[in-house]
Amino acid sequence: MFIDSLINIWEQSGFTALTWESIVMLIIGFTLVYLAIVKKFEPLLLLPIAFGVILANLPLANLMAEPVGSEPGGLLYYLYLGVKKGIYPSLIFLGIGAMTDFGPLIARPSSLFMGAGAQFGIVMAFIVAIALGFTPQEAGSIGIIGGADGPTAIYTTTRLAPHLLAPIAIAAYSYMALIPLIQPPIMRLLTTQKEREIKMEQVREVSKLEKICFPIVVTVFCVWLLPSVAPLIGMLMLGNLFRESGVVERLSNTAQNALINIVTIFLGVTVGATAEGSQFLKLETIKIIFLGLFAFAFSTVGGLLIGKVMCVLSGGKINPLIGSAGVSAVPMAARVSQVEGQKANPANFLLMHAMGPNVAGVIGSAVAAGVLLALFGQ
Amino acid sequence: MSIYESILVALFCMAVVFFVLGILYFLIRIFSLVLGYVSKPQVAAPVAAGESAVEVVSPQDDFSAGTLVLKDTDEQTAAMIMAIISHESGIPLSELCFKSIRLINKESEAKA
Repeated sequence: MFIDSLINIWEQSGFTALTWESIVMLIIGFTLVYLAIVKKFEPLLLLPIAFGVILANLPLANLMAEPVGSEPGGLLYYLYLGVKKGIYPSLIFLGIGAMTDFGPLIARPSSLFMGAGAQFGIVMAFIVAIALGFTPQEAGSIGIIGGADGPTAIYTTTRLAPHLLAPIAIAAYSYMALIPLIQPPIMRLLTTQKEREIKMEQVREVSKLEKICFPIVVTVFCVWLLPSVAPLIGMLMLGNLFRESGVVERLSNTAQNALINIVTIFLGVTVGATAEGSQFLKLETIKIIFLGLFAFAFSTVGGLLIGKVMCVLSGGKINPLIGSAGVSAVPMAARVSQVEGQKANPANFLLMHAMGPNVAGVIGSAVAAGVLLALFGQ
Repeated sequence: MSIYESILVALFCMAVVFFVLGILYFLIRIFSLVLGYVSKPQVAAPVAAGESAVEVVSPQDDFSAGTLVLKDTDEQTAAMIMAIISHESGIPLSELCFKSIRLINKESEAKA
């Protein structure tokens, strides 16, 4: 009797359903947890993603199971609807908008061109992905990793190639965490010591009225031109209007604290949970990881090249190092520009100057995503 | 899709990104100029010779914390001091009110 009960419990446990794919994915999940906690690689997102990977690969837990008849689906299945329907990335953009000061961009609008140049990696990765045999929808989703913008990458992928969501999201956030390692060698390779030493003049002060008008103008213009970016640009600019209007402080605080934190938990866990072993462990995933790095590197190159052009056009007043900050990844890419600038010249303070291209990159990657969605969306 | 077509798509995508952000550049320039004419310039309070004044404004509610008088201190050093005090005290910079920052000469202090 007792032995039968033990055998029964054993047969119903997840151990009997363990596959080699689940074991590998659990090891990947534990590694990501380690990287998030010990190495502090984008822990706010990597930790929920890593735990989602672990949860999805525990056999028989069925957390991502769809509802069958009167049987309800798994918990993560319902939470995942927010990703599938494009709700979470847009809400995260609302929070980002509420946290972002577009003042440096308004003070020096030419930063927009560096933000545009830093989308170069998206199109380069797109071409290489097509050459490697991916469909245009898959190639567009892979290329958008080069925008260094997690919510945009997730939003685009759920619309174009939802089956690639897990590797693309994991690659995008992992490389964003590795920006301080990826960008500096490229920055030093493409700029001279003299260019890196350039001290930039303080930008003008931006009036409150300009900051209030900016999100309205950008939303109306961008959504008129590319309606497919309305959820991303619309939410980003709504959050910014909350911040700059100064009359809805409670909404602004909620958007940039409680709301974004709650959505980050849901987004991270459910994106991680899509990394189910049999789907994730494919040659395609390795290709995507490689293409993501390629896209990041070329986006940095694009931003730097436009930075160099602007350095020449401005008569040496613009430090080209701020161009690399055009790869979104707010504010980490701007911090990298600051660190590299100070290494060349300890009296160099590039952080605020780099914030211009940095926030321009957010708009640039959303526009690039809008173009891809318009071309390849259904 | 062939590689040739993918290159065309890539060129089109970059062209649209540059076009949209280029138009935004001109829009920002235009409305900055227009709003520059519309809004009245702020008049700073007069300060004594050898001193400079910096207006401290909260980024959130356009509230002015008054005029900060700097004596024998450059603006960069003052900004650093304010940031350090805010960081160490845990009080947001917008809630702190600085009246003056001046360089203290240790030798003259010792003699006094």
